[in-house]
Amino acid sequence: MLDSIITPDLFAAAIRIATPLALAAIGGTICERSGVVNIALEGIMLTGAFFGTAVVLATGEPWLGVIAAVVAGISISAVHAFASINLRSDQTVSGTAINLLALGVTGFLMKLWYGHPGTTDQIKTLGSVFNFEAPGGGVLAEVWRWVNAILFTHSPIVYLAIIIAIVAQWAVFKTRWGLRLRALGEHPRAVDTVGVNVARGRWIAVLMSGALAGLAGANLTIEQVGSFTENMTNGRGFIALAANIFGRWTPIGSYLASLLFGFADALQIKLQILRGVINVPPQFFQMLPYILTVVVVAGVIGRAVAPAASGVPYRKD
Amino acid sequence: MSEPREGTVVQRRWMTILQKAGTPVISALLAIAVGSIIIWASGYDPLAAFAALFKGSFGSPKAVGDTLLKSTPLILTGLAVAYGFRAGLFNIGAEGQLFMGGLAATAVGLALGATSWWISVPLMLLAAMLAGAAWAFIPALLKARIGAHEVITTMMFTYIGRYFVSYLVNGPMKEPGNIPQTPALDPSAQLPRIATLFSEGAREALPILNLGRAHMGIFVALIAAVVIWLILKYTTLGFENRAVGFNRWASETAGISVQWTTVKALCISGVLAGLAGATEVMGVHHRLFDQFSSGFGFTGIAVALLAKNHPLGVIPAALLFGALSAGATTMQFEAKVPQDIIQIIQALVIFFVAAEEIVLWFVRRRQKEAISHAG
Repeated sequence: MLDSIITPDLFAAAIRIATPLALAAIGGTICERSGVVNIALEGIMLTGAFFGTAVVLATGEPWLGVIAAVVAGISISAVHAFASINLRSDQTVSGTAINLLALGVTGFLMKLWYGHPGTTDQIKTLGSVFNFEAPGGGVLAEVWRWVNAILFTHSPIVYLAIIIAIVAQWAVFKTRWGLRLRALGEHPRAVDTVGVNVARGRWIAVLMSGALAGLAGANLTIEQVGSFTENMTNGRGFIALAANIFGRWTPIGSYLASLLFGFADALQIKLQILRGVINVPPQFFQMLPYILTVVVVAGVIGRAVAPAASGVPYRKD
Repeated sequence: MSEPREGTVVQRRWMTILQKAGTPVISALLAIAVGSIIIWASGYDPLAAFAALFKGSFGSPKAVGDTLLKSTPLILTGLAVAYGFRAGLFNIGAEGQLFMGGLAATAVGLALGATSWWISVPLMLLAAMLAGAAWAFIPALLKARIGAHEVITTMMFTYIGRYFVSYLVNGPMKEPGNIPQTPALDPSAQLPRIATLFSEGAREALPILNLGRAHMGIFVALIAAVVIWLILKYTTLGFENRAVGFNRWASETAGISVQWTTVKALCISGVLAGLAGATEVMGVHHRLFDQFSSGFGFTGIAVALLAKNHPLGVIPAALLFGALSAGATTMQFEAKVPQDIIQIIQALVIFFVAAEEIVLWFVRRRQKEAISHAG
């Protein structure tokens, strides 16, 4: 029985499922490091997923869809930036508004453009980047078969996400930009005093999180599912927020935390196949990622400290 | 914003009310204006759309009944979110508590079977209140004890609750047959329609009494609003709730237990959301199934914000959103505008209420005019 659960494609699925979570979580990290809470990740991801699909449907070009998803993510996150930075709205509330707005806009355009609710037509997707052979027999070939199946069967954005996690980690902790970003979230007045534009710094961070969450949406539709369904993000934005907390507001931490969620989800999908053997209704497996999120958020909070000024609007005068 | 100095006491009192009501009213108007622009830009006629919307929400006694029908759960979820906000807590997961409330009411109703309504109805409402509170309790405890963000935890509990209900209506509670739903509740376990209170003769003489599908749940909701208003205004419980929401550190210093107040606030919020689930099951569907709530918990957020978290303000705010959602079907049918526009307008209302500074600009201008007229 274990043989049919612990297979290379279980780990491959974990990496695949982790990718949209990780991208959004890294976006959340950058955003919160600058002092803006981004509860809108869910809605931004959904917006990216929809516009990505729409552009692929119109042009037949998956890469144009990816670009469209990123642009859509940036655009809708600009609303969040304007509300929370310039208008000093309550950031949680403004984020909630964007989540509902994304649901409404994608549902509205779905009916306007395609004439029906539910799911769009299938689109051309981005396939795996590598296509290595796994020939021969013996132990070495078996090891290679595993490594190949786990690491070299993925679509481009999956690799892009890993690169982004590493680059973002470096940028946040080793560059001048990163130092300023972190200072914005800890003590914006100090940053302001030395002549850095707080609003500008936060705007850039929010737009970056929008780009990443949009890219996460593109991964969902253009690489994984191959179509758009209303409300298809299904809480991933909130799980990404939890991954960001579990990863202690660091990009690589966010990625690893997302891997944990990805693994849990991959495992529950596997276990569902064994329903005849272990008699548990599928809904209980489907609950697992959400239960895990609560456990993780509850378990880690006491020891992880959020950026001090996160969620606090900055008033210059 | 400074208090207006000129005018009599009565005038000043009115100015205060204008100040309080001004922002929400203008937020709603701005949202509808932007919604109209979206309708127009999509190639439809905004006037025709809103005419159809109005027809579907107030155009006939039956339409008014539909508005009341949709407003009932929204008053309760709006109160739920507002009560949390007053303690500085964002119960984004009212939807999950609503699901558990609907589940508990159904379970008790089915267990009781055919009996007298004065036994089953109170017991079902009570069960729903307890279930709602229970579903909010773990997030509340996690928030109070270790500061786990209630937005993430209550949201996750919403998904968990939905899957749990889905499991029950597909499994143990499923009625024989292919449809994943529970058996219907006995008539004694249902909230009757308002129209059935009146004799046929009375309804013929006064057609407005033919309120279609509107049910007695609206009175449950209205009573809840008054009770929450009284609690917040006159009791220690309510005072502590407001104090913690206003300044938790000062409250702690003053001897209020912030942790305990947090737990109570989220649980009372859960009680109200649970009631909303009960009224939906008992008044509308008369059984439980997967999709028995069309996001009332989330719309409750918009209701609470529009009401500025005032328990009595929740009533008109819920009526507005109830009317929008009651008229949406007519609008989609007659003006062909996809009814998702309603959700867009809701989101815009939240946005404009949150972005007070845009709206305050309008209010201040109106006030200056009003003061110069009063003087």
